[in-house]
Formats: sequence, structure tokens, C-alpha cells
Amino acid sequence: MVFVIDANIYVFAFGIAKEENCKTFLKIISGHPLINSIRICRTIVEEVSSNLTQQEFREFIGFINAITIVDEDFLVPFESGSKYEWKGLKPADALIAAYCEWTGADILVTENRHFLSRQSDLPFKVLPAEKCLKFIIRSS
Amino acid sequence: MITKNAKEAIKHLEKLCELVAKRPSPFKGMTKDEVIEKLRETREKLWEKKLGIRN
Repeated sequence: MVFVIDANIYVFAFGIAKEENCKTFLKIISGHPLINSIRICRTIVEEVSSNLTQQEFREFIGFINAITIVDEDFLVPFESGSKYEWKGLKPADALIAAYCEWTGADILVTENRHFLSRQSDLPFKVLPAEKCLKFIIRSS
Repeated sequence: MITKNAKEAIKHLEKLCELVAKRPSPFKGMTKDEVIEKLRETREKLWEKKLGIRN
């Protein structure tokens, strides 16, 4: 299964803002990288990094390098981003949606209710960490 | 089965959480929704900056 994990999940998981479900989710998913494929784009890395100190940033990069590689934003087709903007997403959210489509992601994990309310418009599932955990447990 | 990479990932995750716990949160006193909105603002700013560089 391919997952794109939104920046808010990392921020909550690291404890910058507390949300225990996000930490549990990230621990479980990164503990099984052979079964679960995690994808991350440059924008998400930068967004998370903007909330980290230099030392924390080094740990974050170590974490990411252990589970996946970073995809550059320019790889995502521009038209795909425009399509999601036209559907009403903000430009940066539209990039994330286009990135999910480009990677063939099964699930975008996010706590962002703007995404969560658009389930039917999107070719991938959008789940908050808690529901995604339940989904993984059910399907394993 | 936990692979070597998974062990490495969890080690970095734990260390990162430890470091973060030692400092005050920039989101202190905010609700979950307020934090998410703040993060969305950051995302938009980063994106605008990127578009500015491209144009």
C-alpha cells in the first residue's frame, strides 16, 4: 500500500503539537517499510522543517532517509495540480493532491479537514491518522 | 519483521520527539484546528515563494 503522509501528521507525531494517534501511526507505518511504501515530496519536507531546529532537522532527514526518498515537486505534472485548483483546493493543497495522484498513492493521511471533506472528488482515500491505523489493522 | 531501516527510522523518530519535548511548542494554547490552519498558512507561503522563484 502506498501512503502520502501530510506535514500536519509529522508535526503532531513529533510532538510539536500533541496528537498521540499521529505518533502511534507514524511508528507503526515506519516500522514496516517493506509492507508499506511511504512517499514524501519536497514541499512536505520543507513545511515540516520550518517547524524544526537544526538538530531536529537532522533527525528528521535521518528518519525520512531510512524509510523513503524525497520526490522533487517539479516532477508532478503541472496540469494535474491545475485540475485540483480548479476543483477548489488552494494551490499548495492542489500540489499535494496532484502528488498523491502522480505517485499512485492509495491513501493520503492528513488531519486537514479541507482534504477530508473532499473524499469523493479524489482518486485516493483521505484518512486521518486514527482511521488510517484502523484501516491498516483491518486489512493486514 | 522489523528491518534495519525500520530500526533506524524509529531511532530517529524517538530522538526527534525527545528533542522537541525539551523546548516550548510554537503552537502552545492552540486547538488542533488552529494548528492545522497555521500549518496551511505556512504551506501557502512556501508555495507562493516557490512560484515567485520560478517566475
